[in-house]
Amino acid sequence: MRYSFYLLPGLAMLALSLTPAGQPQHARSASAAAAAAAPLIHRPAATLVAFNPLKGAAQEVVTGKTGQAHKTKKGETATRVAVVREIDLEALKKLLQRGTGTDARPLLVNFWATWCVPCREEFPDLVKINSDYAKRNLEVITISLDDPSEIKTTVPQFLREVRAGNLPAYLLNVIDPDIAINTIDPQWRGALPATFLYDASGQMVFKHTGRFDTRELRAAIDKVTTAR
Amino acid sequence: MKKRYAFAISLSIMMALSLVVAGAARRGVAASGDKVAAAAIGSTIANFKLSDTSGKEQTLSALKGTNGTVLIFISTQCPVVRDYMERIGKLAADYKERGVNVIGINANASESMDDVKAHIAANNLTFPVMKDKGNKVADQLGAERTPEVFFLDAANKLVYHGRIDNHRNISLVNANDLRDAIDATLAGKPVVKAEASAFGCTIKRAS
Repeated sequence: MRYSFYLLPGLAMLALSLTPAGQPQHARSASAAAAAAAPLIHRPAATLVAFNPLKGAAQEVVTGKTGQAHKTKKGETATRVAVVREIDLEALKKLLQRGTGTDARPLLVNFWATWCVPCREEFPDLVKINSDYAKRNLEVITISLDDPSEIKTTVPQFLREVRAGNLPAYLLNVIDPDIAINTIDPQWRGALPATFLYDASGQMVFKHTGRFDTRELRAAIDKVTTAR
Repeated sequence: MKKRYAFAISLSIMMALSLVVAGAARRGVAASGDKVAAAAIGSTIANFKLSDTSGKEQTLSALKGTNGTVLIFISTQCPVVRDYMERIGKLAADYKERGVNVIGINANASESMDDVKAHIAANNLTFPVMKDKGNKVADQLGAERTPEVFFLDAANKLVYHGRIDNHRNISLVNANDLRDAIDATLAGKPVVKAEASAFGCTIKRAS
Protein backbone atom coordinates (compact mmCIF):
# COMPACT_ATOMS: atom_id res chain seq x y z
CA MET A 1 0.00 0.00 0.00
CA ARG A 2 2.73 2.42 0.96
CA TYR A 3 4.36 1.87 -2.42
CA SER A 4 1.27 2.99 -4.27
CA PHE A 5 2.43 6.58 -3.96
CA TYR A 6 5.58 5.75 -5.90
CA LEU A 7 3.65 3.93 -8.60
CA LEU A 8 1.21 6.75 -9.32
CA PRO A 9 3.43 8.88 -11.62
CA GLY A 10 4.37 5.86 -13.66
CA LEU A 11 0.78 4.66 -13.96
CA ALA A 12 -0.27 8.11 -15.12
CA MET A 13 2.34 8.02 -17.86
CA LEU A 14 1.22 4.54 -18.85
CA ALA A 15 -2.38 5.70 -19.10
CA LEU A 16 -1.32 8.60 -21.32
CA SER A 17 0.58 6.27 -23.60
CA LEU A 18 -2.52 4.15 -24.10
CA THR A 19 -4.31 6.86 -26.07
CA PRO A 20 -5.21 5.46 -29.51
CA ALA A 21 -2.90 5.79 -32.46
CA GLY A 22 -3.41 8.96 -34.39
CA GLN A 23 -3.93 11.19 -31.40
CA PRO A 24 -2.51 14.71 -31.77
CA GLN A 25 1.09 15.28 -30.85
CA HIS A 26 0.46 18.98 -30.38
CA ALA A 27 -1.98 21.24 -28.64
CA ARG A 28 -5.54 21.26 -29.93
CA SER A 29 -8.67 23.08 -28.95
CA ALA A 30 -10.66 21.60 -26.12
CA SER A 31 -13.58 20.77 -28.39
CA ALA A 32 -11.32 19.06 -30.88
CA ALA A 33 -9.61 17.06 -28.16
CA ALA A 34 -12.96 16.02 -26.76
CA ALA A 35 -14.19 14.99 -30.17
CA ALA A 36 -11.07 12.92 -30.70
CA ALA A 37 -11.17 11.26 -27.33
CA ALA A 38 -12.88 8.05 -28.41
CA PRO A 39 -12.34 7.17 -32.07
CA LEU A 40 -12.75 3.48 -31.27
CA ILE A 41 -16.40 2.82 -30.56
CA HIS A 42 -18.06 -0.53 -30.00
CA ARG A 43 -21.65 -1.48 -30.25
CA PRO A 44 -23.47 -4.71 -30.99
CA ALA A 45 -23.27 -5.78 -34.61
CA ALA A 46 -26.99 -6.38 -34.70
CA THR A 47 -27.73 -2.70 -34.25
CA LEU A 48 -25.50 -1.87 -37.17
CA VAL A 49 -28.01 -3.32 -39.56
CA ALA A 50 -30.87 -1.39 -38.08
CA PHE A 51 -29.02 1.91 -37.93
CA ASN A 52 -30.51 4.66 -40.01
CA PRO A 53 -28.31 7.75 -40.28
CA LEU A 54 -31.20 9.62 -41.84
CA LYS A 55 -33.19 9.50 -38.66
CA GLY A 56 -33.91 13.00 -37.45
CA ALA A 57 -32.98 15.07 -40.30
CA ALA A 58 -31.59 13.89 -43.19
CA GLN A 59 -32.40 14.21 -46.74
CA GLU A 60 -32.43 11.33 -49.15
CA VAL A 61 -32.27 11.52 -52.88
CA VAL A 62 -32.84 8.57 -55.10
CA THR A 63 -31.96 8.80 -58.73
CA GLY A 64 -33.00 6.40 -61.41
CA LYS A 65 -35.73 3.83 -60.94
CA THR A 66 -35.65 2.15 -57.55
CA GLY A 67 -35.16 -1.56 -57.69
CA GLN A 68 -34.27 -1.75 -61.34
CA ALA A 69 -31.04 -3.34 -62.34
CA HIS A 70 -28.69 -2.92 -65.24
CA LYS A 71 -25.61 -4.61 -66.62
CA THR A 72 -22.24 -3.01 -65.95
CA LYS A 73 -19.45 -3.10 -68.50
CA LYS A 74 -18.14 -6.36 -67.08
CA GLY A 75 -21.57 -7.93 -67.03
CA GLU A 76 -22.02 -7.59 -63.27
CA THR A 77 -25.48 -6.79 -62.09
CA ALA A 78 -25.77 -3.55 -60.22
CA THR A 79 -28.72 -1.54 -59.10
CA ARG A 80 -29.18 1.71 -60.95
CA VAL A 81 -30.08 3.53 -57.76
CA ALA A 82 -27.70 6.21 -56.52
CA VAL A 83 -28.76 7.22 -53.04
CA VAL A 84 -27.14 10.23 -51.39
CA ARG A 85 -27.99 10.69 -47.75
CA GLU A 86 -27.29 13.89 -45.89
CA ILE A 87 -25.65 13.30 -42.51
CA ASP A 88 -24.61 15.44 -39.58
CA LEU A 89 -21.78 14.92 -37.10
CA GLU A 90 -23.70 12.48 -34.92
CA ALA A 91 -24.69 10.36 -37.91
CA LEU A 92 -21.06 10.39 -39.05
CA LYS A 93 -19.95 9.02 -35.68
CA LYS A 94 -22.56 6.26 -35.87
CA LEU A 95 -21.45 5.32 -39.36
CA LEU A 96 -17.96 4.70 -38.07
CA GLN A 97 -19.07 2.38 -35.30
CA ARG A 98 -18.21 -1.28 -35.71
CA GLY A 99 -19.87 -4.25 -34.10
CA THR A 100 -18.34 -6.48 -31.50
CA GLY A 101 -19.73 -9.78 -32.74
CA THR A 102 -18.27 -12.24 -35.20
CA ASP A 103 -20.21 -10.62 -38.04
CA ALA A 104 -18.55 -7.22 -37.52
CA ARG A 105 -17.11 -5.92 -40.77
CA PRO A 106 -14.03 -3.88 -41.68
CA LEU A 107 -14.89 -0.43 -43.03
CA LEU A 108 -13.37 1.66 -45.80
CA VAL A 109 -14.35 5.35 -45.76
CA ASN A 110 -13.57 7.76 -48.57
CA PHE A 111 -14.05 11.53 -48.19
CA TRP A 112 -14.42 13.28 -51.51
CA ALA A 113 -16.14 16.06 -53.46
CA THR A 114 -17.19 16.49 -57.06
CA TRP A 115 -15.03 19.64 -57.25
CA CYS A 116 -11.93 17.68 -56.25
CA VAL A 117 -10.09 16.38 -59.32
CA PRO A 118 -8.07 13.58 -57.63
CA CYS A 119 -11.27 12.49 -55.87
CA ARG A 120 -12.99 12.07 -59.21
CA GLU A 121 -9.97 10.29 -60.65
CA GLU A 122 -9.77 7.68 -57.91
CA PHE A 123 -13.51 7.04 -57.63
CA PRO A 124 -13.69 4.29 -60.29
CA ASP A 125 -11.05 2.37 -58.31
CA LEU A 126 -13.22 2.71 -55.25
CA VAL A 127 -16.20 1.29 -57.12
CA LYS A 128 -14.06 -1.63 -58.25
CA ILE A 129 -12.75 -2.25 -54.73
CA ASN A 130 -16.31 -2.27 -53.42
CA SER A 131 -17.26 -4.84 -56.02
CA ASP A 132 -14.15 -7.00 -55.60
CA TYR A 133 -14.25 -7.10 -51.81
CA ALA A 134 -17.99 -7.55 -51.32
CA LYS A 135 -17.41 -11.28 -50.80
CA ARG A 136 -14.63 -10.56 -48.34
CA ASN A 137 -17.01 -8.79 -46.01
CA LEU A 138 -15.68 -5.26 -46.53
CA GLU A 139 -18.07 -2.35 -46.05
CA VAL A 140 -17.27 0.66 -48.23
CA ILE A 141 -18.88 4.08 -47.80
CA THR A 142 -18.26 7.42 -49.44
CA ILE A 143 -18.81 10.79 -47.80
CA SER A 144 -19.14 13.82 -50.02
CA LEU A 145 -18.13 17.29 -48.87
CA ASP A 146 -20.04 19.00 -51.63
CA ASP A 147 -22.42 21.80 -50.83
CA PRO A 148 -25.73 20.37 -49.54
CA SER A 149 -27.51 22.23 -52.34
CA GLU A 150 -25.87 19.78 -54.75
CA ILE A 151 -27.27 16.65 -53.14
CA LYS A 152 -29.93 16.38 -55.83
CA THR A 153 -27.77 17.37 -58.77
CA THR A 154 -24.00 17.21 -59.09
CA VAL A 155 -23.32 14.46 -56.55
CA PRO A 156 -25.79 11.79 -57.77
CA GLN A 157 -24.98 12.71 -61.36
CA PHE A 158 -21.33 11.93 -60.80
CA LEU A 159 -22.13 8.73 -58.93
CA ARG A 160 -24.27 7.62 -61.82
CA GLU A 161 -21.48 8.42 -64.28
CA VAL A 162 -19.02 6.20 -62.42
CA ARG A 163 -21.63 3.46 -61.85
CA ALA A 164 -21.46 3.82 -58.10
CA GLY A 165 -25.09 2.87 -57.50
CA ASN A 166 -24.09 0.06 -55.13
CA LEU A 167 -21.79 2.25 -53.08
CA PRO A 168 -23.42 3.78 -49.99
CA ALA A 169 -23.10 7.54 -50.48
CA TYR A 170 -23.45 10.25 -47.86
CA LEU A 171 -23.06 14.01 -47.86
CA LEU A 172 -21.70 15.54 -44.67
CA ASN A 173 -23.34 18.81 -43.71
CA VAL A 174 -21.64 20.44 -40.73
CA ILE A 175 -21.23 24.08 -39.77
CA ASP A 176 -17.85 23.48 -38.13
CA PRO A 177 -15.73 20.99 -40.10
CA ASP A 178 -12.91 21.12 -37.52
CA ILE A 179 -14.88 18.92 -35.13
CA ALA A 180 -15.75 16.42 -37.86
CA ILE A 181 -12.17 16.27 -39.10
CA ASN A 182 -10.86 15.66 -35.58
CA THR A 183 -13.49 13.02 -34.99
CA ILE A 184 -12.10 11.05 -37.92
CA ASP A 185 -8.42 11.66 -37.28
CA PRO A 186 -6.81 14.49 -35.29
CA GLN A 187 -3.83 14.34 -37.61
CA TRP A 188 -5.95 14.88 -40.70
CA ARG A 189 -6.24 18.54 -41.66
CA GLY A 190 -9.09 18.26 -44.13
CA ALA A 191 -7.28 17.81 -47.43
CA LEU A 192 -9.30 15.85 -49.99
CA PRO A 193 -9.47 13.11 -51.00
CA ALA A 194 -8.89 11.21 -47.78
CA THR A 195 -9.32 7.49 -47.24
CA PHE A 196 -9.47 5.62 -43.94
CA LEU A 197 -9.61 1.87 -43.31
CA TYR A 198 -10.87 0.38 -40.05
CA ASP A 199 -10.64 -3.25 -39.04
CA ALA A 200 -13.70 -5.12 -37.76
CA SER A 201 -13.05 -3.94 -34.21
CA GLY A 202 -13.18 -0.29 -35.31
CA GLN A 203 -9.45 0.35 -35.06
CA MET A 204 -8.07 2.57 -37.82
CA VAL A 205 -5.39 0.56 -39.64
CA PHE A 206 -4.68 2.64 -42.75
CA LYS A 207 -5.10 6.25 -43.82
CA HIS A 208 -4.21 8.22 -46.89
CA THR A 209 -4.65 11.82 -47.96
CA GLY A 210 -4.49 12.65 -51.65
CA ARG A 211 -5.19 10.17 -54.43
CA PHE A 212 -4.66 6.67 -53.10
CA ASP A 213 -2.46 4.04 -54.67
CA THR A 214 -4.80 1.18 -55.51
CA ARG A 215 -2.23 -1.55 -54.89
CA GLU A 216 -1.26 -0.08 -51.54
CA LEU A 217 -4.88 0.25 -50.47
CA ARG A 218 -5.79 -3.26 -51.59
CA ALA A 219 -2.81 -4.67 -49.69
CA ALA A 220 -4.09 -2.95 -46.54
CA ILE A 221 -7.62 -4.26 -47.14
CA ASP A 222 -6.31 -7.79 -47.68
CA LYS A 223 -4.88 -7.74 -44.17
CA VAL A 224 -8.21 -7.03 -42.50
CA THR A 225 -10.63 -8.98 -44.68
CA THR A 226 -11.30 -12.66 -45.05
CA ALA A 227 -13.26 -14.60 -47.64
CA ARG A 228 -16.76 -15.55 -46.52
CA MET B 1 17.04 6.03 0.90
CA LYS B 2 15.29 2.79 -0.02
CA LYS B 3 12.14 4.76 -0.77
CA ARG B 4 14.05 6.94 -3.22
CA TYR B 5 15.40 3.90 -5.02
CA ALA B 6 11.93 2.34 -5.12
CA PHE B 7 10.51 5.53 -6.60
CA ALA B 8 13.27 5.79 -9.22
CA ILE B 9 12.95 2.14 -10.24
CA SER B 10 9.16 2.35 -10.42
CA LEU B 11 9.32 5.49 -12.54
CA SER B 12 11.92 4.03 -14.90
CA ILE B 13 9.96 0.82 -15.45
CA MET B 14 6.73 2.67 -16.11
CA MET B 15 8.44 5.12 -18.49
CA ALA B 16 10.00 2.29 -20.47
CA LEU B 17 6.70 0.42 -20.57
CA SER B 18 4.78 3.51 -21.68
CA LEU B 19 7.22 4.14 -24.53
CA VAL B 20 6.88 0.55 -25.74
CA VAL B 21 3.07 0.68 -25.59
CA ALA B 22 2.90 4.07 -27.28
CA GLY B 23 5.23 2.92 -30.04
CA ALA B 24 3.14 -0.18 -30.67
CA ALA B 25 -0.05 1.86 -30.80
CA ARG B 26 1.37 4.27 -33.33
CA ARG B 27 2.56 1.42 -35.51
CA GLY B 28 -1.08 0.34 -35.72
CA VAL B 29 -2.00 2.85 -38.43
CA ALA B 30 -0.24 2.74 -41.76
CA ALA B 31 -0.25 6.32 -43.00
CA SER B 32 0.61 7.27 -46.52
CA GLY B 33 -0.09 10.02 -49.01
CA ASP B 34 0.72 13.69 -49.19
CA LYS B 35 0.84 14.23 -45.47
CA VAL B 36 3.80 16.19 -44.17
CA ALA B 37 4.47 17.28 -40.61
CA ALA B 38 3.18 20.78 -39.97
CA ALA B 39 5.33 23.40 -38.29
CA ALA B 40 4.60 23.45 -34.58
CA ILE B 41 2.69 26.30 -33.00
CA GLY B 42 5.24 28.48 -31.21
CA SER B 43 8.11 27.55 -33.49
CA THR B 44 10.02 30.27 -35.32
CA ILE B 45 9.80 29.99 -39.09
CA ALA B 46 13.21 30.22 -40.74
CA ASN B 47 13.67 32.61 -43.63
CA PHE B 48 12.71 31.20 -47.04
CA LYS B 49 12.69 32.17 -50.70
CA LEU B 50 9.80 32.43 -53.15
CA SER B 51 9.47 33.70 -56.71
CA ASP B 52 7.29 36.71 -57.44
CA THR B 53 5.33 36.94 -60.69
CA SER B 54 8.23 38.63 -62.46
CA GLY B 55 10.44 35.69 -61.55
CA LYS B 56 12.38 37.72 -59.01
CA GLU B 57 13.38 35.99 -55.80
CA GLN B 58 11.73 37.26 -52.61
CA THR B 59 12.41 36.30 -49.02
CA LEU B 60 10.22 36.08 -45.94
CA SER B 61 12.37 38.81 -44.41
CA ALA B 62 11.49 41.16 -47.26
CA LEU B 63 7.81 40.20 -47.45
CA LYS B 64 6.94 40.15 -43.74
CA GLY B 65 4.78 42.76 -42.07
CA THR B 66 5.97 44.91 -39.21
CA ASN B 67 3.47 43.34 -36.82
CA GLY B 68 2.85 39.98 -38.45
CA THR B 69 2.59 37.97 -41.66
CA VAL B 70 -0.26 35.87 -43.01
CA LEU B 71 0.94 33.15 -45.38
CA ILE B 72 -1.96 31.62 -47.31
CA PHE B 73 -1.47 28.68 -49.64
CA ILE B 74 -3.84 29.16 -52.54
CA SER B 75 -4.61 27.63 -55.90
CA THR B 76 -5.84 28.96 -59.21
CA GLN B 77 -8.15 25.97 -59.68
CA CYS B 78 -9.48 24.94 -56.27
CA PRO B 79 -13.18 25.83 -55.91
CA VAL B 80 -12.79 26.28 -52.16
CA VAL B 81 -10.06 28.88 -52.73
CA ARG B 82 -12.30 30.55 -55.29
CA ASP B 83 -14.97 30.98 -52.62
CA TYR B 84 -12.43 32.59 -50.30
CA MET B 85 -10.68 35.01 -52.69
CA GLU B 86 -12.86 37.99 -51.84
CA ARG B 87 -12.48 37.31 -48.12
CA ILE B 88 -8.69 37.07 -48.43
CA GLY B 89 -8.57 40.34 -50.36
CA LYS B 90 -10.62 42.09 -47.67
CA LEU B 91 -8.45 40.60 -44.95
CA ALA B 92 -5.30 41.93 -46.67
CA ALA B 93 -6.82 45.41 -47.00
CA ASP B 94 -8.15 45.47 -43.42
CA TYR B 95 -4.84 44.61 -41.79
CA LYS B 96 -2.31 46.30 -44.09
CA GLU B 97 -2.44 49.59 -42.18
CA ARG B 98 -2.01 47.68 -38.93
CA GLY B 99 1.30 46.26 -40.09
CA VAL B 100 0.17 42.76 -41.07
CA ASN B 101 1.05 41.62 -44.58
CA VAL B 102 -0.89 38.93 -46.42
CA ILE B 103 1.15 36.80 -48.82
CA GLY B 104 -0.47 34.29 -51.17
CA ILE B 105 1.63 31.24 -51.98
CA ASN B 106 0.97 28.95 -54.91
CA ALA B 107 2.79 25.63 -54.40
CA ASN B 108 0.84 23.58 -56.93
CA ALA B 109 3.21 22.00 -59.44
CA SER B 110 0.25 21.69 -61.79
CA GLU B 111 -0.22 25.49 -61.95
CA SER B 112 2.30 27.62 -63.85
CA MET B 113 3.47 31.16 -63.24
CA ASP B 114 1.26 32.23 -66.15
CA ASP B 115 -1.70 30.61 -64.40
CA VAL B 116 -0.84 32.58 -61.26
CA LYS B 117 -0.61 35.85 -63.19
CA ALA B 118 -3.96 35.21 -64.89
CA HIS B 119 -5.52 34.35 -61.52
CA ILE B 120 -4.25 37.60 -59.98
CA ALA B 121 -5.62 39.62 -62.88
CA ALA B 122 -8.98 37.83 -62.95
CA ASN B 123 -9.52 38.37 -59.23
CA ASN B 124 -8.01 41.89 -59.06
CA LEU B 125 -5.79 40.77 -56.22
CA THR B 126 -4.11 43.57 -54.32
CA PHE B 127 -1.87 41.35 -52.18
CA PRO B 128 1.27 39.65 -53.53
CA VAL B 129 1.12 36.04 -54.69
CA MET B 130 4.35 34.07 -54.86
CA LYS B 131 5.22 30.86 -56.62
CA ASP B 132 6.72 28.13 -54.43
CA LYS B 133 8.76 26.21 -56.98
CA GLY B 134 9.35 22.62 -55.96
CA ASN B 135 6.96 23.21 -53.01
CA LYS B 136 9.96 23.86 -50.76
CA VAL B 137 8.13 26.33 -48.54
CA ALA B 138 5.05 24.07 -48.42
CA ASP B 139 7.36 21.30 -47.20
CA GLN B 140 9.07 23.60 -44.69
CA LEU B 141 5.76 24.66 -43.17
CA GLY B 142 3.98 21.34 -43.68
CA ALA B 143 1.19 22.82 -45.80
CA GLU B 144 -0.98 20.18 -47.42
CA ARG B 145 -4.13 21.84 -48.70
CA THR B 146 -5.56 25.05 -50.16
CA PRO B 147 -6.57 27.31 -48.62
CA GLU B 148 -4.31 26.82 -45.62
CA VAL B 149 -3.05 29.63 -43.40
CA PHE B 150 0.10 30.13 -41.35
CA PHE B 151 0.07 33.33 -39.30
CA LEU B 152 3.41 34.52 -37.95
CA ASP B 153 3.86 37.24 -35.36
CA ALA B 154 6.36 40.09 -35.70
CA ALA B 155 9.21 37.76 -34.74
CA ASN B 156 8.15 35.10 -37.30
CA LYS B 157 6.84 32.82 -34.59
CA LEU B 158 3.93 30.65 -35.75
CA VAL B 159 0.92 31.62 -33.66
CA TYR B 160 -1.96 30.28 -35.78
CA HIS B 161 -2.29 27.50 -38.36
CA GLY B 162 -5.27 26.25 -40.28
CA ARG B 163 -8.40 27.65 -41.80
CA ILE B 164 -9.53 31.20 -42.51
CA ASP B 165 -12.94 30.64 -40.93
CA ASN B 166 -15.37 27.79 -40.41
CA HIS B 167 -17.28 27.75 -43.69
CA ARG B 168 -16.72 28.36 -47.39
CA ASN B 169 -20.27 29.66 -47.60
CA ILE B 170 -19.84 33.13 -46.09
CA SER B 171 -23.44 33.24 -44.87
CA LEU B 172 -22.68 30.30 -42.54
CA VAL B 173 -19.52 31.73 -40.98
CA ASN B 174 -19.69 31.88 -37.19
CA ALA B 175 -15.99 31.48 -36.34
CA ASN B 176 -13.42 33.91 -37.74
CA ASP B 177 -10.43 31.98 -36.48
CA LEU B 178 -7.75 33.80 -38.49
CA ARG B 179 -9.03 37.30 -37.70
CA ASP B 180 -9.36 36.34 -34.03
CA ALA B 181 -5.74 35.17 -34.04
CA ILE B 182 -4.48 38.35 -35.71
CA ASP B 183 -6.50 40.60 -33.40
CA ALA B 184 -5.24 38.76 -30.31
CA THR B 185 -1.63 38.98 -31.47
CA LEU B 186 -1.90 42.69 -32.29
CA ALA B 187 -3.37 43.25 -28.83
CA GLY B 188 -0.47 41.39 -27.25
CA LYS B 189 -2.70 38.55 -26.11
CA PRO B 190 -2.26 34.80 -26.64
CA VAL B 191 -4.23 33.17 -29.46
CA VAL B 192 -7.04 31.15 -27.89
CA LYS B 193 -7.56 28.74 -30.78
CA ALA B 194 -4.18 28.24 -32.42
CA GLU B 195 -5.24 25.49 -34.85
CA ALA B 196 -8.43 24.75 -36.74
CA SER B 197 -9.05 22.59 -39.80
CA ALA B 198 -11.37 22.79 -42.77
CA PHE B 199 -11.89 20.82 -45.94
CA GLY B 200 -9.87 21.88 -48.96
CA CYS B 201 -7.94 20.78 -52.03
CA THR B 202 -4.66 18.89 -51.71
CA ILE B 203 -1.53 20.76 -52.79
CA LYS B 204 -0.32 19.11 -55.97
CA ARG B 205 3.33 18.60 -55.12
CA ALA B 206 6.17 18.17 -57.61
CA SER B 207 6.89 14.46 -57.99
